[in-house]
Amino acid sequence: MRATDGFYGQYGGQFVPEILIPALDELERAYQDFKNNDGSIKLLQRYLNEYAGRPTPVYYAKNISEKYGFGLYLKREDLLHTGAHKINNTIGQVLLAVSMKKKRVIAETGAGQHGVATATAAALFGLTCRIYMGSLDVERQMPNVKKMRLLGAEVVPVDEGLRTLKDAISASLKDWVTNVTGTHYLLGSVAGPHPFPEIVAYFQSVIGREALDYFRLQGFLPDCVIACVGGGSNALGIFQGFLELSAVELIGVEAGGRSLDPGQNAATLTLGSRGIFQGALSYLLQDGFCQVRDVHSVSAGLDYAGVGPQHSFLKDSGRVTYTCVFDGQALNAFHELTRLEGILPALESAHAVAYALEHAQDLRGKRVLVNLSGRGDKDLGIIEKYMGKEA
Amino acid sequence: MRGIYLVGGYPDRETFNECVHSVIESGFDFLEIGIPFNDPIADGPVIARAIHEALENGAAPDQVMDDILLLKNTEIKKYVMTYANVVYSYGIKKFSGKMADYLDGVIIPDLPNRMSRLFYDNGFDIPVVPFATLETRLSDIDMINRSKSEIIYFVGVRGITGASGNLESSELLEKIRMLKDNTDKKVIIGFGIKTRDDAVRALRIGDGFVVGTEAVKRQKKPDELKSYLNSLM
Repeated sequence: MRATDGFYGQYGGQFVPEILIPALDELERAYQDFKNNDGSIKLLQRYLNEYAGRPTPVYYAKNISEKYGFGLYLKREDLLHTGAHKINNTIGQVLLAVSMKKKRVIAETGAGQHGVATATAAALFGLTCRIYMGSLDVERQMPNVKKMRLLGAEVVPVDEGLRTLKDAISASLKDWVTNVTGTHYLLGSVAGPHPFPEIVAYFQSVIGREALDYFRLQGFLPDCVIACVGGGSNALGIFQGFLELSAVELIGVEAGGRSLDPGQNAATLTLGSRGIFQGALSYLLQDGFCQVRDVHSVSAGLDYAGVGPQHSFLKDSGRVTYTCVFDGQALNAFHELTRLEGILPALESAHAVAYALEHAQDLRGKRVLVNLSGRGDKDLGIIEKYMGKEA
Repeated sequence: MRGIYLVGGYPDRETFNECVHSVIESGFDFLEIGIPFNDPIADGPVIARAIHEALENGAAPDQVMDDILLLKNTEIKKYVMTYANVVYSYGIKKFSGKMADYLDGVIIPDLPNRMSRLFYDNGFDIPVVPFATLETRLSDIDMINRSKSEIIYFVGVRGITGASGNLESSELLEKIRMLKDNTDKKVIIGFGIKTRDDAVRALRIGDGFVVGTEAVKRQKKPDELKSYLNSLM
């Protein structure tokens, strides 16, 4: 998907302080040069294949399929180095940072997956790295914090607001405003000001491309493709392989949290309205006084009040259906996949699996491709806590 | 042009209005009133905390706007400082309809110059104050000149509100000279002005200044604010 003047229909734009505009222009040029340079693309491909572990397989989950009555195919991004799709983007953007001669990268992280992937790519290319993370997320995703520190990144806990992803992005933008010369902001989702949504979508499009190749080899297409949506990078990554194939239904699954009541979920596209937030015009969870709402999800990677502008465009166009599942349904899907297939999904990805399990009746006999965007090791603490509550 | 920024509705409606009158009585040329938004990405800890406290005390957009309307018979120039979502979600046209007759401009830190067309194209009749920064290029000047605003808001530091600037740096002086050579608009220096010396210097190198963080720090104690304001004049 390509933006026109930085917008997808009415969504997108560059709603950041003026001082960042030259840096965004520089990034746009570096990205265009990268895309048009075969050498750059080959170098990226080499790192993705030999370092990150691409291509990732599509796995037919036979046990779940038999139990639930539809064919479940999992795109195994959880098998990538660092445990999630995030590394596709961080290696790409670190190559851009190097081409712009930036020696320092900063990034926000929610669940810690993007933080670990950024710290990893920074270590690989010898860049200084600082990660902003809400202090609540620091508490609930401690293994990832330890990994980032071992990788040489400085992890800065952010004590503002709800102490989660939104606050980490705000802190990153403030850092970037202060250190714009010499620093690249390595944004982790298809959010933020143009050209970030387009760049991240470009680097994540490899997921959809590989998935489509798999189905072409099988001689059939999936009936539907399902992915979880927080900011929306893994979803846009896999959807891009199928956008032109109108027979393939595309479903984005947001965090329904505890309930659909205000402040209890992060279902931006399901419940939100248009707003301007952290760089982009997009759907936004906000109250009647133009303020960003508090959000909640059991998954630290989905609790974000905004969403990437391409998703807002795809929602309005009707090409993608957006819906949500609740915390409990995601946890149930986690246990089902773990016990039946021996795969521990990230709680984010478990939302996508949960949608399929909850709609087994409607999906009966169909081929369902789910983007298993990450693995669940990081979530064991949260899961134990919820299991304790139930016991 | 000498200006003061205050966070609307902070610490409460009554004290805020008292502070507004102190600014007027002290003889400042313009007031910049902040309509609180709970993701203030350009603000440092002092103003960010004030915004959150104001919101907890009910500083909704309409309340702050209504307080500005009460100033209609005062000479002082009035600007609203807020974030893009406040205007956008309130309704670009509705905001303009309510405030256009009472404001000299709006200052929106997350609406860079090239994005102001979103507002103008959707029925916004209030001048959107253009920004210049230490990163502004000569090629950005056209966009600045196209604005209906009589002032340019010059962000004198790389950083957020409350950061310390250096009004002596050659980089800053060169940027201001570039602006002066290429526009007729008044260059107002914001960010990094704390003391009377800073203020005097800003008036010498530019056309004015605005003090934010140091004023907001004293908004809870109007007496202290008053003597601080006098110290700047």
